[in-house]
Amino acid sequence: MISRIRARTLDLGQTTVDWMEERTGLVSLLEHFLYEPVPAKGKWLYSLGSATLFLITLQFLTGILLLFYYVPTTTEAWDSIYFMMTDVYFGPLIRGIHFWSANILVVVIGLHMLRTFFSGAYKAPREMNWVIGVALIFLVTVLAFTGYALRWDAEGFWAWEVGIKIGSYTPFVGNYMAAFLIGGDTVGPATLSRVFAIHVWLLPAALAPLIGIHLYLLRKHGEFGTEFEYTRRLAELRERQQIEEYSAFLEEEYMEEDGFSRGDGSSRGE
Amino acid sequence: MPEELQKDPVSRGEFLVMGTLGTLIGAVLTIPPLVFMLDPIIKSEILDQSDIPEDEWIELGSVFEIPQGAPVTYRVEFPQIQSYVLEKEDEKKKQEGKAGSIVEAALVTWQDGEIPDILRNRGEGRLSEAEIEELTPKLNIVNNHCTHLGCPVRWIEEKREILCPCHGGIYDLNGYVIGGPPPRGLYRYAFEIRQNGGIYVRHEFDGNPYVI
Repeated sequence: MISRIRARTLDLGQTTVDWMEERTGLVSLLEHFLYEPVPAKGKWLYSLGSATLFLITLQFLTGILLLFYYVPTTTEAWDSIYFMMTDVYFGPLIRGIHFWSANILVVVIGLHMLRTFFSGAYKAPREMNWVIGVALIFLVTVLAFTGYALRWDAEGFWAWEVGIKIGSYTPFVGNYMAAFLIGGDTVGPATLSRVFAIHVWLLPAALAPLIGIHLYLLRKHGEFGTEFEYTRRLAELRERQQIEEYSAFLEEEYMEEDGFSRGDGSSRGE
Repeated sequence: MPEELQKDPVSRGEFLVMGTLGTLIGAVLTIPPLVFMLDPIIKSEILDQSDIPEDEWIELGSVFEIPQGAPVTYRVEFPQIQSYVLEKEDEKKKQEGKAGSIVEAALVTWQDGEIPDILRNRGEGRLSEAEIEELTPKLNIVNNHCTHLGCPVRWIEEKREILCPCHGGIYDLNGYVIGGPPPRGLYRYAFEIRQNGGIYVRHEFDGNPYVI
């Protein structure tokens, strides 16, 4: 009885999946998006990119939720966050996730970059993906910094002021840069509006398509040193080593016994 | 040959028309949003307008309060017209306590900490024009934003120096830089001393451009 039900359910599931696959290609699409061969060496280090993507998605989701309570004015910004943290159900949880995953994101994205660097994954033909990755890490840094200022507490406020001052040291355009970031010539309501616009709209809008291109390029070229590439390279390396060892061995023999042909040995190795 | 690969040959006239139209449409699409975003740059950097009304003099305190060898720190609040804080609503908003303002701290000292001789044993009577003229160059009124990265500086009594907590900028009593990363001394307010001894400052500084 139970086995019959199970068989039927499996059948039904199979039919549904087939039905979807035939009409939308969803299954093979998912397969294509979710599975990516990675080199056996390194293993879990190759999940850092996915971890980054996960954390950024989390930022988008919790960020949208925070917008339900946050008020971007100099007089109300801090109070609205205080209200969120004390009076709103799950307020500390949602804001906590946004805050901590932002912190972890900066760490994880750095580790991801290190992994890419040390595994040589930036080499041809993947240079463009490295370049886009650098743009992404820059955007995330600015996002983190503007998010800091949005709290409009003493810490965030002074950090932003220092940030503006750092920007003002840019050669030639420093003062213009500061005026752009301040929204005038003194820090005030326009400053917070600007930080808000940059953090909530400008940078995420720039981030999303770049992530898309980053993923597209990864799919196009595959992970550098995937199983196939890796084993082939290793096999080539071993072969080369064997040839070297063998010719070294032959050379020794040659020194001892005259008349042994050297050319013979190397041609056998090839 | 590359020209054979081109499926749709373009004549010189067509190219010129397309180029001109393209430039026009491009300009219409990009210039308004850019200028919209860069409005503060145009106003405060190119037209030299300020968010703080220029003729606004704020009273700090009196010259008779400034002691020997130490600064007095005053909290100074300037009206600020920016973003949604509009000028015409200013009076109404002021009454509601909603008018825009920016709070700063001003450190006031005598040059090298020495009370001018004319003020010693003088009492607090009205100052004459000549006395005001003599006192004005001896007064330092500096803004508390460090000139390095804008952190708030403080007078430290034990060290007898003005210190910045962020990167160790050191200023002497007069606000001149004596150590650390700051590129220049603290920003000085434009001020005037009035006959009753009152010190009045304006949101205007020596050595523009002033940032923050």
